[in-house]
Amino acid sequence: MTRFAAEVATALVTLALGLAIVVGAREYGTGWAAGGPEPGTFPFYVGLLVTAASAGNLLLAWRKRHAGIVFVNAVQLRRIAAFGLPILGFVALALTLGFYVATAIYLAAVMRFQGGFRWSACIAVALCTSAFFFLVLEVWFRVPLLKGPLEAILGYR
Amino acid sequence: MGNFESLWHGFSVALTTYHVLLMITGVLLGILVGVLPGLGAPNGVTLLLPLTFGMNPVAAIILLTSMYWGALFGGSTTSILFNIPGEPSSVATTFDGYPMARQGKAAHALTLAFLSAAFGALVGVILITLLSTWAANFALRFGSPEYFAVYFLAFASFVGLGGAAPLKTLVSMGLGLAFAAVGMDTISGSLRLTFGLDTLVSGISFLVAVIGLFGIGELLISMEEGLRFDGIKARISPRAVFEAIRSMPRHWVALLRGSSIGCWMGITPGGPTAASFMSYGLARRFSKRGKNFGNGEPEGIISPETADHAAGTSAMLPMLALGVPGSATSAVMLGGLMIWGLNPGPTLFTDRPDFVWGLIASMYIANIVAVVLVLSTVPIFASILRVPFAIIGPMIVVVCFIGAYTVSASQPDLLLVVLFGIMGYAFKKLDYPIAPMVLAMVLGDKAEDAFRQSMIMSKGSLAIFWSNGLAATLTALGLLLLCWPAIAATWRRARNGKRPMGAVENRGSNGGERQEVA
Repeated sequence: MTRFAAEVATALVTLALGLAIVVGAREYGTGWAAGGPEPGTFPFYVGLLVTAASAGNLLLAWRKRHAGIVFVNAVQLRRIAAFGLPILGFVALALTLGFYVATAIYLAAVMRFQGGFRWSACIAVALCTSAFFFLVLEVWFRVPLLKGPLEAILGYR
Repeated sequence: MGNFESLWHGFSVALTTYHVLLMITGVLLGILVGVLPGLGAPNGVTLLLPLTFGMNPVAAIILLTSMYWGALFGGSTTSILFNIPGEPSSVATTFDGYPMARQGKAAHALTLAFLSAAFGALVGVILITLLSTWAANFALRFGSPEYFAVYFLAFASFVGLGGAAPLKTLVSMGLGLAFAAVGMDTISGSLRLTFGLDTLVSGISFLVAVIGLFGIGELLISMEEGLRFDGIKARISPRAVFEAIRSMPRHWVALLRGSSIGCWMGITPGGPTAASFMSYGLARRFSKRGKNFGNGEPEGIISPETADHAAGTSAMLPMLALGVPGSATSAVMLGGLMIWGLNPGPTLFTDRPDFVWGLIASMYIANIVAVVLVLSTVPIFASILRVPFAIIGPMIVVVCFIGAYTVSASQPDLLLVVLFGIMGYAFKKLDYPIAPMVLAMVLGDKAEDAFRQSMIMSKGSLAIFWSNGLAATLTALGLLLLCWPAIAATWRRARNGKRPMGAVENRGSNGGERQEVA
């Protein structure tokens, strides 16, 4: 992927966000009401600013389209995927099974498949970390985290 | 002078066993956060913030600021020993710090870095002690138009002084302002920009954004570069410390230059990162030993470190006196003040003098605590980086997501962290600055309120921002800074026209190596 492609993609995304802000703000009125500016006014102009600046970035990127700078190469992309995809898995697990179970599974899996540790070490570290978070948050600071079926069985809500 | 009496009172507030213990905890957590890649001062403070909701504000701010100082020190440690900046603001320290460590002078380099950092911090705190009452009294005269002008000035100085491409700064800032507007409108009570999504009704928390942008985004970047820690072992002996202390006075020019640059960049929201680069750049240009820079020159460590910490500390001045933070981390703290039920700004000085002066006094004590702790714990924290990343990486990820969840116990926030993480990664790689977005998210509502109230006062005329000398000066300064990149480019072109070889690369020292001047 070239830097040019990345610049264009990012500028297009921010452009789309800018337009969305403009359209969204129009719903609430951008003019002058009895008591002052309508609620949409400020976001409306902010949206215009984002749109215009994004268009400018697009133009600047276009001027340098032949620079041929690499944005990410294959090796880097693989590294990002190897790190990023498990994060998505962790989020999905946390939303369904709760944080503590998700933490243990995620840690054990990454240590095993990326770190190449022995299963026993992976499970030990995973369980200890999970227990540590449980003690600090639920017991010590009394900050409740997302919990799943396992905690329900153990009687924690 | 009244300030010193107040400071004295502040010391009596700050110097309790409980507060000193909090300082030690904060500094140690800060060093940890500063050492770990992907966790920096802004999101370290963010992660700790939900745990302080139940604390009394004085204790809470002492814990958070101590963490900030610790993180600044921790960032320099990894810069010198591993050539990996733990913090964006300690990138410039790697240029000479790592070469010096490779020459076997790691202990000397570290001590120099810590001592000059402490010097910079000290200058910053003294500045705050001297100026804060004056600044707060000055700010008491502000009405809505003046406040909007100040916010405008803060945003404009990111464009003018931040060093990144101006249009990219504008995009980042504009998005931040828009994110701040999502959800309930404080004046009319109507919902805005929710696009029919229930999850957006409560708005987008800047804390969640910080965790995604700085935490996950930064981790992705460091993963991509393939983390390899080729650390240099360092044990700090009392002798090395003593020698470094003895050599400090020789570098007085670098120390003073660094602190003044740092204070300036901290008060105007240029932030510590820009300050350290600028200080390094200027030192390389003006120092007698400029030729040695890059090969392990002590002044190449002293200059960025002094400026970094001076900026970090003095960024607290506008935050306290005006309610306008001077760096991303102080923006998060400002958010914290509002959550604890304090009203940042000049009235804080009259309403809660114990808070303000307790904080200022704690900055003196905590920085001393930090120097002592960091000197004695370097080997321990450096060994953390020898733990394989397959263990540390996922743990940092877990901490980030747990932190985001504890902000408001909301499940969609976890997905927002992922989105902001991707955004942080793309923005970082393409040199979009992130700090302006955070600042805009924290200040967005206040800036909008100030704007709308001014408009109501003036019945819709923008002329209100020129209506008196104070507002007009602030607005004019803001406009000047906003147009500064364009002015500088024209001026440079004119000069280069006369001298075809023109070696003007001044702006490069401002914001980083990779930035491009359009």
